[in-house]
Amino acid sequence: MSVWSWLKLTVCLWLLGKMIRAAGWLLLAAIALAAWPVTLVAAVGYGAAWLRGWPPVRLRRSAAWALLPAGAWLAIQGARLRTWRPVALAPVHTWACGWSQLAAVDLTRTFLLLAPFAVPAGLALAGLAWAWRIYAITTGLGGITASAPITFDARQWRRQVRTAKGLAEAPGAVPLLDRGGRIPVGGTIRAIGHRWRPVFTIPAAACARHMVVVGATGSGKTNLMIRLWTGWFTATLAQARAGTGHRPLLIVLDCKGGRDARVKADRTRRLLYGAGARRVAIWPDEARLSLWDLPAADLAVLLYQMIDSGTGAAAYYADVMQAVLTLAVTAPGGPPLSTAGFLDRLDARWLQAAWDPARYPAEAARVHAAARQLPDIQLRFATLLGRLGPALDGPGTLADADAWYCILEGTREPSVAETQAMALTELAAHAATDRDAEPRAMLLAADDYSAVSGRVPLSNLYERGRSLGIGVQVSAQSWQGLGASEDERYRIAGTADGGIFVLHVPYPDPLVAAAGHRRVLETAHKLIGRAWGDEGTTREQRAWTADPDLVRRLEVGQACYIQRGAATFVQVARPRPSPLTLPPPPAAPDPAPRVPEPRHEPATTAWPPPPPSRLDDIFGPGASR
Amino acid sequence: MITDPFEALGLPARPDLPDEQVRAAWRAIASATHPDRADGGDLARYTAASAAYAELRTPWGRSEAYADLMGQAALAAEPVTGPLPAVPADDALPDGLPRHPLAAVREFPARIRRGRLRRLLLRAVIAAALALVVLQLIPGTAAAPADVAGLILWFGLTARRDLAPPPER
Repeated sequence: MSVWSWLKLTVCLWLLGKMIRAAGWLLLAAIALAAWPVTLVAAVGYGAAWLRGWPPVRLRRSAAWALLPAGAWLAIQGARLRTWRPVALAPVHTWACGWSQLAAVDLTRTFLLLAPFAVPAGLALAGLAWAWRIYAITTGLGGITASAPITFDARQWRRQVRTAKGLAEAPGAVPLLDRGGRIPVGGTIRAIGHRWRPVFTIPAAACARHMVVVGATGSGKTNLMIRLWTGWFTATLAQARAGTGHRPLLIVLDCKGGRDARVKADRTRRLLYGAGARRVAIWPDEARLSLWDLPAADLAVLLYQMIDSGTGAAAYYADVMQAVLTLAVTAPGGPPLSTAGFLDRLDARWLQAAWDPARYPAEAARVHAAARQLPDIQLRFATLLGRLGPALDGPGTLADADAWYCILEGTREPSVAETQAMALTELAAHAATDRDAEPRAMLLAADDYSAVSGRVPLSNLYERGRSLGIGVQVSAQSWQGLGASEDERYRIAGTADGGIFVLHVPYPDPLVAAAGHRRVLETAHKLIGRAWGDEGTTREQRAWTADPDLVRRLEVGQACYIQRGAATFVQVARPRPSPLTLPPPPAAPDPAPRVPEPRHEPATTAWPPPPPSRLDDIFGPGASR
Repeated sequence: MITDPFEALGLPARPDLPDEQVRAAWRAIASATHPDRADGGDLARYTAASAAYAELRTPWGRSEAYADLMGQAALAAEPVTGPLPAVPADDALPDGLPRHPLAAVREFPARIRRGRLRRLLLRAVIAAALALVVLQLIPGTAAAPADVAGLILWFGLTARRDLAPPPER
């Protein structure tokens, strides 16, 4: 074959290919023109999806809703015409008649007559076309330039954010609780793996398990957490009112403290009042709790853990201290009722009087052995309890309020805050297991727990909550803030079965790894000069389900929710209670304030005991015989 | 001068007072103290009650005022406070849900008023105008009621977000 012949053949083949393609487009244009009402609706739907960043499923759902008018039309026509054939041919007839008059009014009339069918068909077609467009662009099959997937994704992200923001600002779109009892979080920006809904919601039960929230300062973490708290509170209160659950008890540990914590506490309190709470206590500013309400055995363990005890040679003193605490707290007559009462017990004479050698010889021997260390132990506890202040010295229990906002000065006084956190979690555990008290649905939320996690690691808090049936929600400012070691961090992230919320953080990679990867197609094109040729390859690749770079670029108020290998990006809505009033309460007088019964220290034999007037009082007549 | 708006209206300081109770309290004080009364009324008390009513008129305002009161009490009583009063055994709804079947209907006007009224009106005007066009151009056809039903459906689905949420949510 000569060069000229080869050239002619090539040009002919190229022209043939172009002609076939052009014929295909012409045929498509003819069909689109012929079915112009459907084309019109499809174009409008496609344009709306493109402009507003909707996913194809949104168009498909709209098409499904639009089937209702079509059903109404069929019912009316069926009732009129009685037989199915004229009913089926009626739209065709209308369409055929529409071509005879092409004035604007006539076209409008034709469209309106065909609308019951054209709208669902057009929206479904738009959904298909939009899905194909997304597929073509993301796999590299479509687009004019090689950067098309990148620019398309960035543009659609901007539009999705804009739409989600608009939804989050609507008063009725993101209430504190939706009709299905789920907690709305905000407008959905993008869902990968999760089912897409315009408003992203999580089940209230997710808050009752374990949840992690990680976000840098100023990323909108507080807003998100307050929304989750109020949403959980509203859902649990609604269940309690419906008789299907216990009344809620929310315990928030704000572990950073400071002025911001007070502002946050006030805001939380206002929202909880709006959501139906009766008492929201702010500890330690406005309310107290009593450490001494704990069962004696738990109290002894807690008091021992509250004091730093060394290892090695110091373990001897730790053992002595533990023995002394057990003796002081479990003394006959009951545990101490106040700090002063407890400190009084760390005295050899008191312990000797309480543990009567005649009745408790073993304990009395221990008191005798530890007598030398008792002043030191008393001094240490006097110092510790003095630093803790009166807020844990009662009276008051967690059951006294619907919600407790506990402010721990973790930044200013980390050691005190650690001890307080330990005591508060112990009180929460006691409230969860106390059989005499009313059972409550509990959520323990620890904001910036890393500030106080030196004594009780976060993983312990998690495991404790799991065993007690308490929902635990923890927040941190970074991946590193979740735990002291990499192992602990992974353990916390790995057991967060309620989900992980990641807001803007500079290092989200370990967190988004929990969402895993997804399979994507990647197409490589052969370049001819600067343009794409017709040849190329497509292969399967793995991509992040939650792209860490996207998470790094999240703006204030945007979050990524990761659960079960899927991720949803959401624009968190600011929590606002309904402006409408709750139904009036039953007419009843205000409950009288319940003041705990005054309790008294158990009576012990006065020391030194009064001298017997006669020796016979001791030995008795003839006792020596 | 009374700074507690609940006290000014003679109401118990509670965040969950119903609208009707607040309005009734204000009306009672206003009718007894209005300056236009023959006896001259009590201008100071009337002014205080009016200001208090303006503050407590909405549930949100009441919860804000209640939270403010709690904050003031905390400041006055710091650093030591006693135990909190016990929480009543049950809250606003004595025997749990379901509420009155007509409650949702009764609340609807308030949900419209407290929602995005202008957007709602705009949607309603668009839906009504299109319905009129349909009824004008294709009266008596089977498509006309179907189209109007479609417009009503569109209005219902899109207007929900512009309504204020119901009180229990």
